[in-house]
Amino acid sequence: MELDALEARITELRGEIRLAKAGGDDDAKVRRLRAELRTAERAWDDALDRGSEPDDAPPLLPIREQVHQALTLLGAPSASRVIVAVNDAFFAGRVAATQLTSLRRDEERSFRSSPYARPYYLCAALTAELLSPARGLLAISTWPVAVRIIGPLSPRTDFLTSAIRVAEHMTRLTGAGGSASSGAYRLLTRMARNIPGAVEGFGRADPARVVGAANAELVVHQENDRRDRHAAAERATTRLDEVTRLFGAGLRSASAS
Amino acid sequence: MNSPNHRLDALRGGVAPVDHNARTIAALAGNPGCDRRAVLDAAGIHKQSIAVHLGHPAPFGQSPFALDRARAFEELVKADGCAHLVRLLRETLGLSVPEVAYTDIADVGGNTAHQLRHTRTLAELRRAAEDGERSGTLFDHPLLKLPVAGHEVYLEPSVIAFQIRGRFHIVEIKSFAVIDGTADSGQVAAASRLSAVYVYALKALFRAEGIDPDRVSHEVVLVCPKDFANHPTATLLDVRQQLASLNRQLSRLTRIDRILDHLPPELTFSLEQSPAELARAIRTVEARYAPECLSACEMAYFCRADARVCGSVDVLGRATRDELGGLESIDAVLDLTAGDRLTSPEQAEIADQLRYVRAVYREHASAGAEAVA
Repeated sequence: MELDALEARITELRGEIRLAKAGGDDDAKVRRLRAELRTAERAWDDALDRGSEPDDAPPLLPIREQVHQALTLLGAPSASRVIVAVNDAFFAGRVAATQLTSLRRDEERSFRSSPYARPYYLCAALTAELLSPARGLLAISTWPVAVRIIGPLSPRTDFLTSAIRVAEHMTRLTGAGGSASSGAYRLLTRMARNIPGAVEGFGRADPARVVGAANAELVVHQENDRRDRHAAAERATTRLDEVTRLFGAGLRSASAS
Repeated sequence: MNSPNHRLDALRGGVAPVDHNARTIAALAGNPGCDRRAVLDAAGIHKQSIAVHLGHPAPFGQSPFALDRARAFEELVKADGCAHLVRLLRETLGLSVPEVAYTDIADVGGNTAHQLRHTRTLAELRRAAEDGERSGTLFDHPLLKLPVAGHEVYLEPSVIAFQIRGRFHIVEIKSFAVIDGTADSGQVAAASRLSAVYVYALKALFRAEGIDPDRVSHEVVLVCPKDFANHPTATLLDVRQQLASLNRQLSRLTRIDRILDHLPPELTFSLEQSPAELARAIRTVEARYAPECLSACEMAYFCRADARVCGSVDVLGRATRDELGGLESIDAVLDLTAGDRLTSPEQAEIADQLRYVRAVYREHASAGAEAVA
């Protein structure tokens, strides 16, 4: 509506300027009218920009769905910073790190009040030693317990796994005729910098090469990591109840059971 | 009744002692000759409130921006299971590929109590020391304990004790930039003093556990942003010298009774006295002011004011004071130079030197005056 009014005003001003020129009015009046016209045009530009911004629109997917999407791509318990980066690079990019802080607590509350009412829950990763929630990591309840266990080697294997999953997803995108965004390449390159042999110099990382390099290092850690994780997972399934199995046990409950 | 601890409690005047942290312990080593600082620190006196009471508050504090920046950089280095750090350690120290184990001791099962975390730190480090390379490479947020002047102090380094080939290193993450291979020397000196405290504490911990303290390396890994980007780079810092001075300073703190013996028995630094009385009490303990104190000690402004009033040579800086060895006040130096004062035999040499400097200066000044004329 605002745009219509402004357009009407602009046409009106243009007419007045032409009349003033033709009528031989003094220069001051013409200058004043021109200034007014420019202000109106600028206001029209601003109004147009504001109208096209999508900020007001509610996101199409709820936050938990978007986090689920990102975690499914990563395939390992991840920190909120990584989830936000993946969401930015491949999905809608409407998740801010601050929105994730209370997510785990909300999910736990929901699970406690009506267990298994939802198809999945965003839950905690568990430390191998005490089965307590690992700091700052989010996981999905439908993953096997062993995937959600964080042993001493797990931060590294999870990092390598995530890098492989991201690279594979990009290969899939380009294979299907689409193309990965430059944001996706930036994310992959950032990860590849810290994997030996995955990228050279400051160039863009090549997904196939990242997969190869990450797999080469993953092989070294995998066996030991799997052993740690399975031992802890077994303990978790036998000793913890269904709430603590998902959201972790505090120190007291772990030693009491 | 006369044990040092009782004396120190009396000096403090019935207030709870202030806890030390790595920063204050590092500052101790900065000026080992200062009795005033040694006594105030040993008694755990809140120096800032004393300085405020005396009317010489020190404008101390860290900028919130600097703190934020430091935290953000540390997060970056530690992200993805210390991915950056693992790369840097592989490059600088030749860490082998299988050594990536990472243990976080920021809490124990969600419990952040200091005692618990310290016990866990002990257990983890002991296991790492005994089992060798198989168990544990990086330890994040370890909590160390150090006895300082009879009090147990918890040191909460945001650093990582890390082991390679059976040696433990301290990793210090700092957010000042290393440009073209060089960094601000003041910042590096401060960082190495701080890490020396951690190395010292780790060595003490090993000794207490019956593990060879030499397994703690005196080389600290300093991680800083490289050039103008935010990309981390690592350098090795040798902190042997800082360790030595820290060692001396801390052993001095435990022998504080030697200084206390010289003080009047009824002396107290309680804040309930008037500023003038407190100032008199403080002045009974000798200070050794140097301009460097301004960035390390809350009492610095008071000591500087005192030194200026006395015309002490301390205000000219350490280098000048050492050159003028044996001469206490600026007036004495000037008198000696002008020859207005009888020289005692031990002052003969410095007096000769001063007169020579004066002659050179006068020659120069008169030549300059002629040139102008």
